[in-house]
Amino acid sequence: MSGTDVDVLQVTTFVVIVLIGVAWYLSYAAARLDRLHAKVEGAMSALDAQLVRRAEATLELANSGSLDPATALLLADAATDSIERTTEHPLDEDLLDGQHFGGREQVETTLSEVLAVTLTDEVVGGLRTEDDELVAEALDRISASALRVRMARRFHNDAVREVRRVRDKRVVRWFRLAGRAALPERVEFDDEVPAALTH
Amino acid sequence: MRIGIVCPYSWDVPGGVQFHVRDLAEVFLAQGHEVSVLAPADDDAELPPYLVSCGRAVPVRYNGSVARLTFGPVTSARVTRWLEQGDFDIVHLHEPVTPSVSLMALWAAEEPVVATFHTSTVRSRAMHAANPLLRPSLEKIRARIAVSEDAARTVRRHLGGDTYIIPNGVHVDRFAAATPRDEWAGRPGAPTLAFLGRVDEPRKGLDVALRALPAVLDAHPGTRLLVAGPGDAADLLREADPRAVAATVVLGAVSDEDKARLLRSVDAYVAPHLGGESFGIVLVEAMAAGAPVVASDLSAFLAVLDDGRTGATFATGSAPALSATLVGLLADAGRRAELREAGTERARTFDWSRVSEQVMAVYETVLEGAHAELAEQAPRGLWSRLVRSVPGSGTP
Repeated sequence: MSGTDVDVLQVTTFVVIVLIGVAWYLSYAAARLDRLHAKVEGAMSALDAQLVRRAEATLELANSGSLDPATALLLADAATDSIERTTEHPLDEDLLDGQHFGGREQVETTLSEVLAVTLTDEVVGGLRTEDDELVAEALDRISASALRVRMARRFHNDAVREVRRVRDKRVVRWFRLAGRAALPERVEFDDEVPAALTH
Repeated sequence: MRIGIVCPYSWDVPGGVQFHVRDLAEVFLAQGHEVSVLAPADDDAELPPYLVSCGRAVPVRYNGSVARLTFGPVTSARVTRWLEQGDFDIVHLHEPVTPSVSLMALWAAEEPVVATFHTSTVRSRAMHAANPLLRPSLEKIRARIAVSEDAARTVRRHLGGDTYIIPNGVHVDRFAAATPRDEWAGRPGAPTLAFLGRVDEPRKGLDVALRALPAVLDAHPGTRLLVAGPGDAADLLREADPRAVAATVVLGAVSDEDKARLLRSVDAYVAPHLGGESFGIVLVEAMAAGAPVVASDLSAFLAVLDDGRTGATFATGSAPALSATLVGLLADAGRRAELREAGTERARTFDWSRVSEQVMAVYETVLEGAHAELAEQAPRGLWSRLVRSVPGSGTP
């Protein structure tokens, strides 16, 4: 009689300890995942901010009057596209929106391509000798933001890889530790910095 | 910006990572940032004012060679104190996967973390064995930098994912402005070659250079090989061809200034390394000083030499190939002048002004993300997390 009492007590203690262990592990895994999601979001918002800066600086250069009208129009067109798409997708509205690029890849690729085609060594050299402070500043801002776009995209994609790795784990899937958070995706577009701006 | 940089290797011992950290810290200090470097160092050694010692390094066998590292509770306490007192905007760790102070700082840091990977020689065993243990800590890193494509490949193989490549930096002007020394300068009929690096470390390849020398002497009898670097070359010289030994001048370890002057003086710098090189900073220094570079065709070296365009390369480890390259180059003053010019231009890419600009851009990008994150994150307790994670209750 007393033997079975002890057994019940032991089993209960054991079960409680295991449950506490499982609960701790789950909360730890959830916290870890939370942190990773936040990192992706932060990286995305940094990428977004740099893309906006790049488009604005491009628009400024296009409107400076120092370029021929055809080049200016090309640049203005691509930059305006980018700016419009950004404002259509306010990223700070809610948590999930921040993890999606909203299909802007094509627009940003176009801007990168147009920048590469128009800002050749010759054109940039010509603009630099003009000694116009606004133009020089716009060029510097384009090259600074283009470099940071490149970095931000790498860092974002790396963070995405980490989230997806953890979310692939069985524990995370079974216990739905990711909650309602959407699965973040890599952002792929042409982010080449115009060669003329890098030296 | 308040920047905390962590160097895992002993500050008293010269090494590529230490020099990189020192230069980076000094460049940022000169730009007006607040910088503190945490590194192992003897407490009674004379240290620069920005350096905080985390204790004396202990030689330990790790990853196939003896490394001087720090670990243990005292170091751990010092790391925590350094982070607390520094109140950094950003913490930049170097070589975060060595079992040393970088890893401890990664463990303890709550600040945004940037990490630079230098090496391309990490054995897979070391990184793989520790993987499950390190993974959650490594997830704290917001930006991963590799110093070369080779280092990036190592990171990709062991940890997966992308890194951003920012090369090592060199103060190009210091090398370009050094004054040549007469006794090291080549004369018509008596050209000089420079070798730099530990003489008793086989992978630096002094042995290859010594074996290549007799054939060079056949074509250019007055050639001298100037060997600068720490270590004992006696064993190597005893076994080498007597003619090669007679043409070799051992300078021993030289100061930074003499290194620059040596590279300014010679007709060619020889880099016969056998492997294990992740970047090749000496090649950049040679190019900055205007020395034509003759290097083995390691992928890291090819990258530094712009795919071999700004230096002459030969099959790694092959003494005949090295002597053929040298004989041709020493006979062709036009080609040497070409390489000097191309090298000087190429070295600019690695000047600290450009390299530090890119590192700063990484810091700024990371901080932008971190701030956005803070602004969005609502406070969440442990319990809400638990509730959120229970099946059914958190999903619509």
